[in-house]
Amino acid sequence: MRIWKKKWSTPVLVYLTAALLMAYASFRLPHLLPGDFVTAMYAGSDVTLNAEQEAELRAFYQNTDGFQGYLRNLATLDWGYSHAFMAPVSQLFLQALPWTLLLMGTAHVLSTLLGFVLGVEAAWRRGSLLEKAGVGIMTVLEGIPEICSGVLLLLVFALSFGWFPAAGAQMAYADHTFGQWLADVVHHLTLPLATLILAYLPGNFLLARAGMVMVLESWFVLTARAKGLPPVRVRYAHAARNALLPMVTRFGLRFAFMITGALVVETIFSYPGLGTLLFNAIAMRDLPLVQGIVLFSSIMVLVVNLGMEYVYHLLDPRVGHAS
Amino acid sequence: MHTAAFTKKMLQNSLAGLKEKFFQVGNHGLAAMVLAVVFMVIHICVPGTALGSEIRIADSKGDWGYPNPFRHYPRGPGYVRMSWVFDTLVWKDKNGYIPALADTWSYDPNTKAFAFTLNPRAKWHDGRPLTAADVVFTIAYFKQHPYRWISTHALDRAEAVDDHTVVIYLAGPYAPFLSDIGGAMPVLPEHIWETVTDPFVFDDPSAFIGSGPYMFKDFNKTRGTYLFEAFPDYYQGVPKKERLVYVRSGKPMMSLITGQVDLANIRPDMAKPLREKELAVIENECGWNKKIMINHKKPPFDNPVFRRALAYAINRQEIIDKAHRGFATPASYGLLSIDHDMYNPDTPRYPWNPQKAENMIASFGWAKGPDGFFHKHGQVLEIELISSNLTVAGDRVADRDGEIIKKQLTDIGIRVHLRNQEQTTTDSRVKNWDFDLAISGHGGIAGDPRILSEMISPVYGAGSVNSARFDDSPELNRLLEAQMVEMDPARRKQIVFKIQELYADQMPAISLYYPDTMAAFNQDNGVTWFYTRGGISKGIPIPQNKMSLIR
Amino acid sequence: MHLDAGQQIGKDPWFITGIGILLLLGFLAVAGPFLVPHDPYDISFSPLRPPSADHWLGTNDGGMDILSELVFSLQNTVIFGVTAGMAGLVLGVVTGLFSAWAGGWTDQVLMRLADIVLAIPSVMVLILVAAFFQPSPVVLALALAGLAWPTTARGVRAQALTLKNSLHIKAAQRMGGSGRYIIARHLMPELFPLYLINFAAKTRMAVFMEASLAFLGLFDPGEKSLGLMISYALQYYYLDIWSNWLMPPIMLLSLLIMGATFVTISLEKNFDPRLRKTV
Repeated sequence: MRIWKKKWSTPVLVYLTAALLMAYASFRLPHLLPGDFVTAMYAGSDVTLNAEQEAELRAFYQNTDGFQGYLRNLATLDWGYSHAFMAPVSQLFLQALPWTLLLMGTAHVLSTLLGFVLGVEAAWRRGSLLEKAGVGIMTVLEGIPEICSGVLLLLVFALSFGWFPAAGAQMAYADHTFGQWLADVVHHLTLPLATLILAYLPGNFLLARAGMVMVLESWFVLTARAKGLPPVRVRYAHAARNALLPMVTRFGLRFAFMITGALVVETIFSYPGLGTLLFNAIAMRDLPLVQGIVLFSSIMVLVVNLGMEYVYHLLDPRVGHAS
Repeated sequence: MHTAAFTKKMLQNSLAGLKEKFFQVGNHGLAAMVLAVVFMVIHICVPGTALGSEIRIADSKGDWGYPNPFRHYPRGPGYVRMSWVFDTLVWKDKNGYIPALADTWSYDPNTKAFAFTLNPRAKWHDGRPLTAADVVFTIAYFKQHPYRWISTHALDRAEAVDDHTVVIYLAGPYAPFLSDIGGAMPVLPEHIWETVTDPFVFDDPSAFIGSGPYMFKDFNKTRGTYLFEAFPDYYQGVPKKERLVYVRSGKPMMSLITGQVDLANIRPDMAKPLREKELAVIENECGWNKKIMINHKKPPFDNPVFRRALAYAINRQEIIDKAHRGFATPASYGLLSIDHDMYNPDTPRYPWNPQKAENMIASFGWAKGPDGFFHKHGQVLEIELISSNLTVAGDRVADRDGEIIKKQLTDIGIRVHLRNQEQTTTDSRVKNWDFDLAISGHGGIAGDPRILSEMISPVYGAGSVNSARFDDSPELNRLLEAQMVEMDPARRKQIVFKIQELYADQMPAISLYYPDTMAAFNQDNGVTWFYTRGGISKGIPIPQNKMSLIR
Repeated sequence: MHLDAGQQIGKDPWFITGIGILLLLGFLAVAGPFLVPHDPYDISFSPLRPPSADHWLGTNDGGMDILSELVFSLQNTVIFGVTAGMAGLVLGVVTGLFSAWAGGWTDQVLMRLADIVLAIPSVMVLILVAAFFQPSPVVLALALAGLAWPTTARGVRAQALTLKNSLHIKAAQRMGGSGRYIIARHLMPELFPLYLINFAAKTRMAVFMEASLAFLGLFDPGEKSLGLMISYALQYYYLDIWSNWLMPPIMLLSLLIMGATFVTISLEKNFDPRLRKTV
């Protein structure tokens, strides 16, 4: 069953190779886009370029470094310089990342924790009406994509009732105290977060429940029960620990796709973040920025995957002696 | 397995069964309401927003670069943001040119020089006085480090006569001087920029010291928000509002109604509901046109007769009625806006006439086949029509223009392959002459007639994707050169009239319509926004003229 | 065992509901275009009309009949989903089986390749593909499949490895069965339920992806797609178009994904050897 039985050096080497490949892909792929920064920037402009000016600009934005130069720069943590923003890519990245982490991170953590607890509790009450209703509701919710739930939440709570702002992450430049600022951020976060939780919670719930049901059937839980341990302790200290494995994998995978996964929700609610940044960068042909985001998100997937391997080993005692 | 589970359930539920059931059903019925209540609580906990002395402007895109000449995007909204911080020699309001840094100006044809008397009260944001030396420096600096918005090639040199008088000598006659230099060139502080060798990477706070009514405070690249603060020592008086904020909002109507913003561009059909909510709605003159780019280097489009046939085949009123629900005006075929002072009312017209179009195409030897399409030498008359979504001021809204034009051309017997493509993809294909027909658009047509030279001639517009880059008519080329150097407005008007006639006759591109351009604003806070005659600076069709916050 | 599960699944209300929804939508997608009264590309009606006897759902901003547009959109979305699901499944199964069977370096290389493909942000690549090649939706569906196979491959490989070590396969090997024989006769068919699960899951993902990409404006705006309809309708949020223009594609898309979800979950419950007990 286990993918790796070998020492840790092999997967690390493999992941390094993958990272290098991704670096190359992130360098090459964006170059395939038709049009370049000068065309994108000056097309809708009130500035009309003549041939000479255009050539001059092209030369200015030309990347002459090639892949080796790109790698050399990466090695010195130089992610490049955005044409459009006239700022280092890393700086742009760090500005956008907190919003993405706030939205996606909160959504993932909340829906994983909530899904886990609810799933475990549901499995514990297996057969009850509560469990059946829970499974039913979650299964139906699992069938509603973010586009639909997001648009509906936007229409009802923002556009129709006007309870929530329809756009943005906070009121810009308001003279708020810290408390007010926090309330404002939560206010803006509510709808996009609710959309994402509605999208992620059902899957986590169903997975946790299924895992837990399996574990509950196994002998060691029966033993634990027989020993007369209180139910909560049986559930969480013994049984649920084993139901956690698939959730860890899921968490890792989902988290790694955070940047692109958020694009729809960011678009619906005009929420700032890496997805929007990437999207705009592509539209503008801001290649250094596109490269930076693609590479970073890819490396994040690799790192998270590697981390998951490790956590898996820690959590699952069986993996260690699988061979 | 099934029975086992069933038994277990029975055991678990034996005691609390009924009670639990009742409770649970109620619970789940309430789930949606609980969610709603949670939402409401969050909603109520949020503090009210005290706007006070500030103005908030909505923008659908958000980021337009830092507001200084070397760092703003080369588009209207980028320039406008910069214009709050940097003043020019002259400016425009509703009716035309008004003094800005220069109180008075005059042109001397003998020396080919413009003399400007500067406002002695003008100051930089750091408190230093603005002098003629700064203007001289600015011109020299832009000659060395080009600012694309203005073309310094027309300038020879500038001289400071005294602290507040500057004379700018032209290299030759240059008709658009006032529009392109006087009203567009931001004046830079010499004491800051004299040591800057690479203006594109110069991002010190002092890079934003200007002489305009507002000081730049912050630009958040991710959220697309800007903050400006009033410059109390502004030479034309203290600005009306202490703070000026730009926020990103894709839903202008919501933002206006909820009071989150004071000014936003709106779509025409939002006007009625917004007026009902006591918001002021303003409409621009016709300053932006949608047009069909034609690859006039490629047969059959290289023949003006064929291009005219296309014009006859296209029913512009139908496009307006269908795709824009009537919110647009048919454009002049001569490119210049019908609201322009130099618009030629006798520009040739091509009223919709499909029969005539068919006859004209038939005159090239094409014959209608049984499939209803034109055929020649066993080949169908097939063209590709590229469509992309773009509208005034950089907003992107999908429309149906392409679909309607496809239908109209199909009706007269041309097989059309409609391809909707992403903007930059379309632009670069047009740029490289890799297309047949493409739907495109641009503004500036109510501003200085220089736009004609740029949008028609390859000499001026070779680097532009919106320019027809049409070189077939020597007469047209000559006129396009002549209007640029004609300093006498009346004579220039004559030339511009002829250009429109010739352009409409040669038809290197087909102007379709002017979409209604509107904005709405909150009229409770004492600021009245307006659209600038001919557009801000070089022709930006946005109502964010800084004079709204000064006078 | 499979027979058993097959019987059981027939009684699963989720499966029945899911299949019911999918059959209904499938019928709509296949037969609908012949039933609707108008050509969805016909722009000759007056735009933004409320529902009427001639246009049950009114007309959109281009003066097209919304009902007809809805049915054609559904068809396109379904075609996209099934194409991507099918192609992704085939790629995944072939890779997974081969990897499991070959083992050693081939296995390592293929699985690392899977990791790398998984690491590519698929939306990013699809955006690039859509922008660069402007392909038809089918090509995009195939591109999506090219990015989505690794999860299937991993699952199939894992199951195949267990099977490979099981007694009857070992026996077949000992009796001199060739690799191809064992793959074709034992591994392929015995993993069949896994294919079903993966196909349903992939199709669900593809439908979801198509809607998202179309919604984001990465598809040809002239195409008909549920995501595009939502995106167009949402632009007119300030008009009274919710019930007749915005809601229908939202409901249909949700139903479609729901149907696929029900079937996937039910199949997993009934066929996945690890989850079987949870029924």
